[in-house]
Amino acid sequence: MSTLWQAVLAEWAKLWSVRSTWWCLAFAPVLMVVTALTLGGASATDALRDGRTGVRVAASEPVVSSTSFVQFVLVALAMLVITSEYSSGSIRVTLQATPVRGAMLAGKALVVGPVMFGVGVLSGAVATGLVFAVLSGDLFGGLVVLPIGEVVADLLGVGVFAALVSVMTLGVGAAMRSAAGTLTVVFMLLMGLPLMLLMTGSQVALDVSMRMPMFAGLAFMGSTDNLTGGPIPYSAGEGLAWLLAWTAAALAAGYAVLRRRDA
Amino acid sequence: MISLNGLTKRYGDRPAVDGLTLELRPGTVTGFLGPNGAGKTTTMRLILGLDRPSSGTALIGGVPYHRIRNPLRTVGALLDARALHPGRSGHAHLVALARSNGVPRRRVTEVLETVGMAGAARKRAGALSLGMSQRLGIAAALLGDPQVLMFDEPVNGLDPDGVRWVRGLMRSLAAEGRTVFVSSHLMSEMQLTADHLVVIGKGRLIADAPLADVIAGSSLTSVLVRTPHAGDLAVRLRAAGITVDRYGENELEATGAALETVGDLAYEAGIRLHELRAKEASLEQAYQELTAGSVEYGAGA
Repeated sequence: MSTLWQAVLAEWAKLWSVRSTWWCLAFAPVLMVVTALTLGGASATDALRDGRTGVRVAASEPVVSSTSFVQFVLVALAMLVITSEYSSGSIRVTLQATPVRGAMLAGKALVVGPVMFGVGVLSGAVATGLVFAVLSGDLFGGLVVLPIGEVVADLLGVGVFAALVSVMTLGVGAAMRSAAGTLTVVFMLLMGLPLMLLMTGSQVALDVSMRMPMFAGLAFMGSTDNLTGGPIPYSAGEGLAWLLAWTAAALAAGYAVLRRRDA
Repeated sequence: MISLNGLTKRYGDRPAVDGLTLELRPGTVTGFLGPNGAGKTTTMRLILGLDRPSSGTALIGGVPYHRIRNPLRTVGALLDARALHPGRSGHAHLVALARSNGVPRRRVTEVLETVGMAGAARKRAGALSLGMSQRLGIAAALLGDPQVLMFDEPVNGLDPDGVRWVRGLMRSLAAEGRTVFVSSHLMSEMQLTADHLVVIGKGRLIADAPLADVIAGSSLTSVLVRTPHAGDLAVRLRAAGITVDRYGENELEATGAALETVGDLAYEAGIRLHELRAKEASLEQAYQELTAGSVEYGAGA
């Protein structure tokens, strides 16, 4: 067995052996359901009030929007995978077992990424089902529909977004080491900075904001709204490319710190 | 098995480990002594590749730690027993370690039994006493059945039974031909456990010698003689260049000479002896002399 695969097996065992994992993973779908129902209900009633009867809303659409909030539960979990090792000192045991820094970090990424993909898809599926069950009735004008192709694409998108945001957090965590520092940086990357840049109103700031993980993720998941009434100025594919670039940059930063600093 | 060559670690311009050169031999327990802050833990961290040396090398079987495939099967180490995720059980901790190094799962059960904590293995690590954490850490070190074992203060927090158990474990690991490197503050414990001593102070090597030599080299190791002619014998001994520290009417204490030499000199002078015995310094006394700046056991000793 390769060192990397062994590191993956070890990280897999570690992930499921602490309670915080189960708490985060139980909370993610709950928060997603609540948020998606709220967002979906709001857009359906808005459309009804405005008399836009021809509008059709896919049940997965509010689920996609809800990721802006739900992502922070996944961020918390992904962060703990690395920062709890530094706060407890167990990173030194981990590195004794897997002294090649890249293999250690890759082992964690290869567990966090797929698990979060699964969490994203499954939570999204549950939330989509509930949004459809609750909001498709006549009370909400029958606007919410369940077009299978679109829903599947949305759910896969939510999964990929969840995976990439989590791996990005892991990279930041490896670079920052402390939970407080990691959370600050990740929050600024995912939400704080893009919104602050938007508020400045300058075109350059807007362009930068649109390329940050938040809007890159929304574009990738098929949303086109840039929150200021305008469109996100690029395709879903480009959104994925920006997301991947941010994730790669965060991992590279984490790896550089791991290589350079003493454990 | 472990060789350090000019191993140096500086933090800023303050050296924590300063040009350490030594070899650790298999089949012996090497005690690692030095005052707090002397660099013992840093040395172990450098050997394990946790810290990067400023210069010099630490090699295990000729290669640096990070080049060893499945390192837990070559080197087992316990640095800090509390360095555990508080929410993870000891059992889960060992299972993850076993997987990371391709160690068969049955070893987890075996080492938990070896350290006598099979009963507490399902408890969260945060709920373990320091003594139990030490046992878990020792179990982790033994997990890969390694040829080299390093322990940083392994008896911290253990009760007298636990201390005796650790002593026996170290001895038996060395008897199996393994290299055992163990640091401790407890000199009396080291005197019972170690075959060989490495003493450092301010990051520098002060002594690297067999335990017996360190004790014999102490000024407090002496020969006690009881004789009705103490005064005559003192004169003879001094003439032979032996230090006589004190003498009374019918006894004296000589340092810097072997028991045999003192006995032979007395015999040649026709002086009757009623008692001739060696008084050994304790390791604690020898250690205090060494770390107080003695150069008797320089790096070359």
